[in-house]
Amino acid sequence: MTNLTRRTALTGGLLALGGITLWTATRSARAQEQPLRPTIDEVMFDPANPVLGNPEGDVTIVEFFDYQCPYCKANHPVLNEVVEADGNVRLVMKDWPIFGAPSVRAAQLALGAASLDSYLTANDALMATEGRLDDTLIEETLAEAGLDVAALDAAYGENRDKWDGLLTRNGAQAAAFQLRGTPAFIIGTVIYPGAMDKAGLENAIAMARG
Amino acid sequence: MTRTLSYPAALRRAIIAPLLAALSLALVVAAALAQSGDAFGRQSPPMDPREAFALEVLPQPDGSRLLRWDVAEGYYLYREYLAAETEDGRSLTLETEPGVTKDDPTFGTVEVYFHGTEAQLGAAEGPVRVTYQGCQEDGICYPPVTDTLPAIEAAATPPAPGPASVKDPATSVASESGIILANEGGLLDGLSARGGPLLVLAGFFGFGLLLAFTPCVFPMFPILAGLLAGQDGTVGARRGALLSGTYVLAMAAAFGLLGLIAAWSGQNLQVALQSPWAVGVVAVVFVALALSMFGLYEMRLPQAWTGRLSGIGAGRGGTLGGAAALGFTSALIMGPCVTAPLAGALLYIARTGDAWLGAAALFALGLGQGVPLLIAGTFGARMLPRAGAWMEGVKAAFGVVFLGMAIWLGGRLLPGPATLALWAALLLGSGVFVGGLDRLEPGSGTAPRIRKTVGLAAILAAVLMGLGAASGAEDPMRPLAGLRPAEAAPGVADNDIAFTPVTSVPQLDAALAGSDGPSMIYVTADWCVTCKVIERRLWPDPMVREALAGTTLITADLSEFDAEGQALLDHLGSVGPPTMVFLDAEGREAPGSRLIGEPGVEEVVASARTIR
Repeated sequence: MTNLTRRTALTGGLLALGGITLWTATRSARAQEQPLRPTIDEVMFDPANPVLGNPEGDVTIVEFFDYQCPYCKANHPVLNEVVEADGNVRLVMKDWPIFGAPSVRAAQLALGAASLDSYLTANDALMATEGRLDDTLIEETLAEAGLDVAALDAAYGENRDKWDGLLTRNGAQAAAFQLRGTPAFIIGTVIYPGAMDKAGLENAIAMARG
Repeated sequence: MTRTLSYPAALRRAIIAPLLAALSLALVVAAALAQSGDAFGRQSPPMDPREAFALEVLPQPDGSRLLRWDVAEGYYLYREYLAAETEDGRSLTLETEPGVTKDDPTFGTVEVYFHGTEAQLGAAEGPVRVTYQGCQEDGICYPPVTDTLPAIEAAATPPAPGPASVKDPATSVASESGIILANEGGLLDGLSARGGPLLVLAGFFGFGLLLAFTPCVFPMFPILAGLLAGQDGTVGARRGALLSGTYVLAMAAAFGLLGLIAAWSGQNLQVALQSPWAVGVVAVVFVALALSMFGLYEMRLPQAWTGRLSGIGAGRGGTLGGAAALGFTSALIMGPCVTAPLAGALLYIARTGDAWLGAAALFALGLGQGVPLLIAGTFGARMLPRAGAWMEGVKAAFGVVFLGMAIWLGGRLLPGPATLALWAALLLGSGVFVGGLDRLEPGSGTAPRIRKTVGLAAILAAVLMGLGAASGAEDPMRPLAGLRPAEAAPGVADNDIAFTPVTSVPQLDAALAGSDGPSMIYVTADWCVTCKVIERRLWPDPMVREALAGTTLITADLSEFDAEGQALLDHLGSVGPPTMVFLDAEGREAPGSRLIGEPGVEEVVASARTIR
């Protein structure tokens, strides 16, 4: 509100005036044009997607994320803590690279690590980075975590179709759910946009269990 | 009194301020609503990214674009993710402003924009894709948003990018011949681009309110008073509101109808409003009103109407019908007074073909003008003293104002010195009637002495103006200018500034091709009476001549108003004379320089400076 320009005021005022009508109108218009929603199976049990937490858990937390998204990363320790404490939660981290080439590169190497059974290490290391990423930083980070970047690259290349297919499906699902961005959580049958705190996650898990 | 206001500039400011106040209140409410999302301990649901980062594109005359993002509270945009490219993927330079360095461990040193930012996008051919990306603070990060901007129809100046057609009224309008008109077009365009039809209507309502305090609307008060107090009349507030409401509605409807007629006939309302006939008739109406004010005769409604009015309850429809008819015709009296706002509405109609919005805007204008009338009609009867000496004084003052309006209007038809002589006569009469020549007794109090002073001052002014008129002067503000020895105007040798007359688009192009400096196109016509005033008062003015020295001067003459004339008007984006279009050396119209109506010397000088 400190930077109240004329435009801000006019736009804001008009939004307030006609907002409700417009909102309802766009909502119903969108509801009609949106593609078919993916099934729970497709979203939570995509065979290509690595599973963290307890793979046999009775509740699945799906997170659409990006390795450069600040709130995904800030939120990640909380998420890990909750998943670990609960002990009965499947965690499916769905790569949805929205911050350009470095995000895609990080996702590719981490998925390559999945072939080598070191997805958790790669994912944790990358999620613990600070700030923006570039190729050098990504490779250094993974190397420091004890991973062989060349091997990850090769592993990704070997199953390129599988991983690229997964990334494509993730993007399509995000679009179908009209997710606004990252992070976005799906817990049970509810979509939670944006970062979630501990209590929020616990409540959502409890709700999913009924 | 002799100079019209430049409505668009002055009124725009006057209207925007109260609107802003009202709308910012709404904004506070909206913000409060958004805040309530936090009651659940979570962020409010993220907005649509195009709402959170509202992008406004302002095409510049040189083919570049100014991109302006308005970032919602609690959201931010990344500087380094702002990008632009052509349709075939060639990246374009985008000059961005420094952002705020966000200090966050998970964030690193990334520059972001809270609230908003602007970026300059260089000239580019064809459509352009602009990409931007941002986050809701502590919430969500959006994927990149890409907007495709339509091509700007660009200059035909030598290094200019290729053409493409743009219908959006908020973009600049170019023409084959290489002149680029400034994008503001009209007040309506601006309001419409900024806030849609609602704001246009609100803006014109505000216009009307302001116009209600100009002498143009004064005659409405006695007319309405006549309607309300047609008999010995105790017209109650409800009845008064009903009648004046009908009157105002009819007046507004007449304005709206004028807009529709103008749109459908494709004819220039200006032409009709400015015809000597219209101006002459309205001047006569003002004289008649003035004489009535002086008590020469009582203004009365036709007996049939007053008769019905006396029988309250019965014949109500007839009275309302009378009020409606009066209101409708009253609008026509004001026509010549409100040329500038009409021009704005008509320009919009012409550009967009949106007859309904144009008509609705004029309707809103009429309603705005009617608000004081409505108040006066509802409460006036009880608030104002019924009669008495001072009421006579007020009526006389009205009469003088009406005579002044008549002279002002007549000044467009009459030779300058004759107009000045009329002003002299009006002042002389006022001076005498106020008591300038009355004898003061030694014991006279303050009031008579003040009256005498005012009266004498008026008489003195009248004498000066009379002398001026006799010596051929025209400007009431400088009546003795003609008596001064002719001064050697610096830099201007002869007494005429040279205009190249053109009557069609090809002729205009030829005239512009012959000039490599700035140029000014003056749209005029024989039948345009306001133009006569301009030609008499502005062109000989030394300051105007100095400001226009070195500028190619072209008159677009619409005296023969045919298809070619209409094409010329369309070409210039003008609704009719008088209009002045100022083009710089590259043939681009300087933003904000266009003058419509009867501008003052200062405005012409200011506009001329913008193209140097």
